[in-house]
Amino acid sequence: MRHGIYLVPAAIVLTLGSLACKPPKTAEQIKAETQAAWAEGVQAFKDGKARETNPYLNDKENPHKATGWFAGWDQAKIDKAAADQAAADAKVAADAKAAASKAAADKAAAEEAARKAAEAEKAAAFKKAAEAALVTIHFDYDKSEIKEKDRAILQGIADFMKAFPAAKVEVEGHCDERGTNEYNLALGNKRAAAALAYLKTLGIDEARFTTISFGKEKPLCTEAKEACWSQNRRGEFKLK
Amino acid sequence: MPPFLIRTFLCVLAASGLCAQQTEVVLSATSSAKLVLAMPAPKVTGLDEAVVATEFTAVLKRDLDETGVIAMLLERLPADSAPVKAWKEAGAQWLLNARLSKAANGDLQLEASALDTAAEKSVFTRTYNANKIVPLRHLAHYLADDLVGRLTGEKGVASSRMVFVRQTSPGVKEIFQVDRDGAGLMQLTRHGSLTLSPTVAVDGRLAYVTYKGGAPEIWGQRRKDGPHEKLYPTSGAGGMLSSPVWSPDAKRLAFVQGDRRGNSDIMVLDLAAGRARRLTDGTGINTEPSWNPNGTQIAFTSDREGGPQVFLMQDDGSNLRRLTSEGLYNASPAWCPNGAMVAYVSRFEGKFDLFVYKLGEGKAYQITTGVSTSESPAWSPDERRLVFTSNRFGSSQLFTTDLSGRQIVRLTELGACQSPRWIRGR
Repeated sequence: MRHGIYLVPAAIVLTLGSLACKPPKTAEQIKAETQAAWAEGVQAFKDGKARETNPYLNDKENPHKATGWFAGWDQAKIDKAAADQAAADAKVAADAKAAASKAAADKAAAEEAARKAAEAEKAAAFKKAAEAALVTIHFDYDKSEIKEKDRAILQGIADFMKAFPAAKVEVEGHCDERGTNEYNLALGNKRAAAALAYLKTLGIDEARFTTISFGKEKPLCTEAKEACWSQNRRGEFKLK
Repeated sequence: MPPFLIRTFLCVLAASGLCAQQTEVVLSATSSAKLVLAMPAPKVTGLDEAVVATEFTAVLKRDLDETGVIAMLLERLPADSAPVKAWKEAGAQWLLNARLSKAANGDLQLEASALDTAAEKSVFTRTYNANKIVPLRHLAHYLADDLVGRLTGEKGVASSRMVFVRQTSPGVKEIFQVDRDGAGLMQLTRHGSLTLSPTVAVDGRLAYVTYKGGAPEIWGQRRKDGPHEKLYPTSGAGGMLSSPVWSPDAKRLAFVQGDRRGNSDIMVLDLAAGRARRLTDGTGINTEPSWNPNGTQIAFTSDREGGPQVFLMQDDGSNLRRLTSEGLYNASPAWCPNGAMVAYVSRFEGKFDLFVYKLGEGKAYQITTGVSTSESPAWSPDERRLVFTSNRFGSSQLFTTDLSGRQIVRLTELGACQSPRWIRGR
């Protein structure tokens, strides 16, 4: 058993290795393969498909050029150069395209900004005009007649409506706290209607106005004194 | 008059046979004499006695005191076991025994019986069963109402409620409800917008105006306990809409529609047919409709003769006549539940006061006289009192007054209240 420690694993390795390996070809097999290749060549010759060129000579111009594993080296170099060139061309083309589209986008953005600025300017002008024109008018106690001093305000509103034909306005009628809630709602309606009728006489289409009455439900000021009441008896104009 | 003389007088009254029959009305409501009712502490099962004292006994006492026809005797009472004669000597004309019990599932039961101490016979017996969600104080209201009904022939209003508008934030008003004694505040709408002019039908259906859609719309309940839905306009814009009022049979809704020429007219909407009909003629302001009790006439405010005045007409717009003759500003008419009176407000020296016009007499009586303004009168269901708003303590709050105007009671300390309506709760 002194050598068993080496011999036994060696025997196992050899046994398993011989089992795992493909068994060598036998002489009969080699002979059969050779004959088959020979028969194939003979058949090809008979069929007129015999090779006319030496398959081992790749380069006809340079028949003595040696071929081997290094034969693809030059081809790889050429391919790489071609690929590099193509990539460079593509990059140039892409850059040019990007530059063109960027220029176009810049132009569009500039146009958009200009349009927006113009719009904003227009909106600002509209808002400014609306703020300047849509001034609150006031009424006497339990009355809905337009006061002499408020006629200029209504003229201003009419001018504004003419300058901005798309503008639509809601006329709100409000009252002071004296009187019943319901009667004041009706009175507020009467006040809004009075303002509407006056604007109609100034040539504005009444379809551009809506009227609403809040009666005494939305006072500006809640103290029980005339200074406060006179502020609350009002007609307000809001953009719609 | 010394108390023993009153007692003698009432004993004579009782002995003369007025109380002999169970169903007979014992005392006229207009009499200034009050029936004295004694009640020993209620027998309690399953309830805390201190809670019963504050939530039942005290509530009952307040309810009965406010009726003006029954005075409740709670102090220096004889022992529970004392004979009826002892109670009579203590001044009690009626002796009320109450037994309150709370079942394991929380349901309440109240057994109440009243004894006439002079005749020594039972005058009132009733058992109340209440679901556990009913507060104890409501049982006291029910008992007070039935005692008053037994005594006067007309049920009391302790269990009634007020529905009103209150500002919750600037520009936002919602509809609220509160018990007649100021307890049990409850919010009925949550539109987050201007919500005005509540009206409650006899079956409890609510209708009102809300601005939640930008323009005013009439919303309400088509069926009892149903959802709140838009009632008018059914399509398109309705112009100015205000003052919906259910007819007494709860089938029609009177309301006001304003046009773009400044006129506002009384309309009547037939809920079942979905058709609205105009009753006034389209000149000037016509608003604040109020039905008479059988739904054949409407009182309203109109400025057709200059300032606002109260007019009456049939429910088809015919037979128009002016009611108020004095003053330059008369508005907010409210026809009383039996139809003989119309309450309204009148401006006098820059402030508003409540008046009552008696249709039989053709005369108006002033109810409130204050340095502050009183507005929006609405009748109690028994028409003994009016609820109104007043700014006498600053912000507009709810008050009730009797028809003499001497007994004014502040209902709640909530500010910014308006448009109260008084409805039966049971």
